[in-house]
Amino acid sequence: MNEQAKKARDIITNYKGRPLRIMEVCGTHTHEIFRLGLRKLLPENVELISGPGCPVCVTPVGFIDEAIWLALEKGCIITTFGDLIRVPGTEMPLAGARAKGAQVRPVYSPLDAVEMARQNPDEQIVFLAVGFETTTPSACLAVETAKKEGLKNFSLLTANKTMPNAYNALEGSADAFLYPGHVNAIAGTEICEELKKRGVSGVVAGFTASELLTALAVILVNAEKGEPFFVNCYPRVVKAEGNPSARELVKRVMEPCDTEWRGLGVIPMSGMKLRDEFAEFDARKKFGMPKITGKPNPACRCGEVLQGKCKPSDCKVFGKVCTPEHPVGACMVSDEGACAAYYQYGGV
Amino acid sequence: MAEKTVTLAHGAGGKQTSELIDQVFKAHFSNPQFTADDAAVLNMGEGRLAMSTDGFIVSPFEFNGGNIGKLSICGTVNDLSCMGAKPLYMTCAFVIEEGFPLDKLEEIAASMEKTANEVGVKIVAGDTKVAGKGQVDKIFITTTGIGKIMDNADTSGTYAKPGDAVIVTGDVGRHGCTILLARDEYGIDADVDSDCAPLWGTVESLYTVTNEIHTIRDATRGGVGTVLYEIAEQSGVGVRLNAADIPVDPAVKGVCGMLGLEPLYLACEGRLVIIAPKDKAPALVEKLREGKYSKNAAIIGEITADNAGRVVMETEIGAQTMLPQPGGELLPRIC
Amino acid sequence: MCVGLSAKVVSVKDGTALIDANGAKREVSADLLEELEPGDYVMVHAGVAIAKITESDEDEANDVMENLL
Repeated sequence: MNEQAKKARDIITNYKGRPLRIMEVCGTHTHEIFRLGLRKLLPENVELISGPGCPVCVTPVGFIDEAIWLALEKGCIITTFGDLIRVPGTEMPLAGARAKGAQVRPVYSPLDAVEMARQNPDEQIVFLAVGFETTTPSACLAVETAKKEGLKNFSLLTANKTMPNAYNALEGSADAFLYPGHVNAIAGTEICEELKKRGVSGVVAGFTASELLTALAVILVNAEKGEPFFVNCYPRVVKAEGNPSARELVKRVMEPCDTEWRGLGVIPMSGMKLRDEFAEFDARKKFGMPKITGKPNPACRCGEVLQGKCKPSDCKVFGKVCTPEHPVGACMVSDEGACAAYYQYGGV
Repeated sequence: MAEKTVTLAHGAGGKQTSELIDQVFKAHFSNPQFTADDAAVLNMGEGRLAMSTDGFIVSPFEFNGGNIGKLSICGTVNDLSCMGAKPLYMTCAFVIEEGFPLDKLEEIAASMEKTANEVGVKIVAGDTKVAGKGQVDKIFITTTGIGKIMDNADTSGTYAKPGDAVIVTGDVGRHGCTILLARDEYGIDADVDSDCAPLWGTVESLYTVTNEIHTIRDATRGGVGTVLYEIAEQSGVGVRLNAADIPVDPAVKGVCGMLGLEPLYLACEGRLVIIAPKDKAPALVEKLREGKYSKNAAIIGEITADNAGRVVMETEIGAQTMLPQPGGELLPRIC
Repeated sequence: MCVGLSAKVVSVKDGTALIDANGAKREVSADLLEELEPGDYVMVHAGVAIAKITESDEDEANDVMENLL
């Protein structure tokens, strides 16, 4: 730790101002905060809440059921980011479908799924497109590439989401937001400035120890002044204008739609789907998928956890029926999930 | 042998089976105890014996720094060594997929010979089965070993005591990372080789420093993190690690960063976790650093009375957090 | 939500960049960044370079803290 990071840590440990609730919106922030033990440094009057920014955690049960339908009924090879494999569907996770013969392959990038499609012309490759502003461009790039090359065996099952309308749904649940740095790297900081005008405070934060300490210190110092504030604490990555090429790409390939967030319900115009010109890459259309509605386990309180309305430990199944080995809710699956993070790192 | 690959006839028990045994296995495993009879006859003398068995199905069967043959000797040698037992005799059983190249089988047998010779362990009996195409993934090997426990050695996962130091004999996660890269599923390139090594010499050297060694474990599948959780549970103690002291190769760190994996949970095949009284630890580490397989040995933490059954990490910002408990398959975390 | 990886650009060709993070190398898409050159640092997410960055998070912390105090 360098001098400035130590200074930031001192500001945090010595904070004596008004009680503050800070929401980290991004799951990777949740993960890093636990990994570093950052919560242990916080004084009693500062509370960190884990928000709905882990794409795995906000992906509804029905999406997993849809993926399993494609794998088992249509014989598609499912490619996905690793975390989704253990997320429970209504009857089973993708890992369970694998035991029934489904082909499920973790990939590092949707572009690798395109490569798999090139190499296996006789197989149908479906990529599970989850994620926010940061991740959606990679899925769009995959679709544009596949279209350019005339690939007929690549498609997306989309559940992409955008943050702005989610912030509206979350308004009032925290005194300040730690904004998700890599979302802002694409989206820019205009929305943060707007939120500030509406009285919502926050800082854009990076992910290293020094970046997180700095961002929290900035929140605490500004909170004492009492005015709404916005500070970009991640300027080495996040520019005010974000990444315009990435946004244009997404606009070319996808358009906004209503979408379901696990726990938050349907938020209007907070999702992204493929435009009609790209219908041949939309797995739902391509394979004539029927409407599939998932049934989540009624005991699971992931929804309230995601909104900061309850702590994972308040949930009846937490740590008993629901563990990382046998997750009931998605928040227990991903290392980023609030419940998994509480389970793994909590209690020390 | 005219054929260049292993065929079902090689496993049928007739002439071709004898040819395979003579030309591949006897050629490499020859020693006075190697038997053509139904069982090897051994004279073990006085004292306590240790015995262990392990199956190897690594895919791919060749990787940077070794192959399944070397691995199959190291695995059993290291299990025996962890009990303070000098490995004396081993058996090996092969299940080979029809069509497996004979020159590769020869290479595997040669690595087994070389590794066994390095330790001084004798391969005294073996078995070969050939399975039809698709019934096994190329080649599986099971080895069993027997060793003589040194009179001055007494180690167990239940012996860790508060105040003991936790030592690791080198940088962690190299084998797991090597295999991940060799499978080429994620398009990542890095200059990493497996730490796969036979560690009897390493263990023997520890006892030239002190007999007071409480626990020795080789951190194989599940990595150092899993071993530490096992010891914490078996001994009913806590483990406190200092994140900054855990040796990790920069390239392994790079690969883990790319995929969101924790190096402490990647497999090692040539690393020991040693638990010994704190006042003996510096001398043990000094001795280890003279050894060819333990140059990067380090004290990475200590055993505590509190947090029983848990592994706690002192992080770079001076706070404490729990090391996530091991479990499930290792999946890359991207978003 | 988005694990990022900061890495150095080794080479760029036809919209693809070879990046190096501590010796771990991979090809990623350079389509979303203009004028990427060897030696630049980038933030990589899901196989795509999403932002040109400066390397040191500590220098950044210094700047942010100096503005704050």
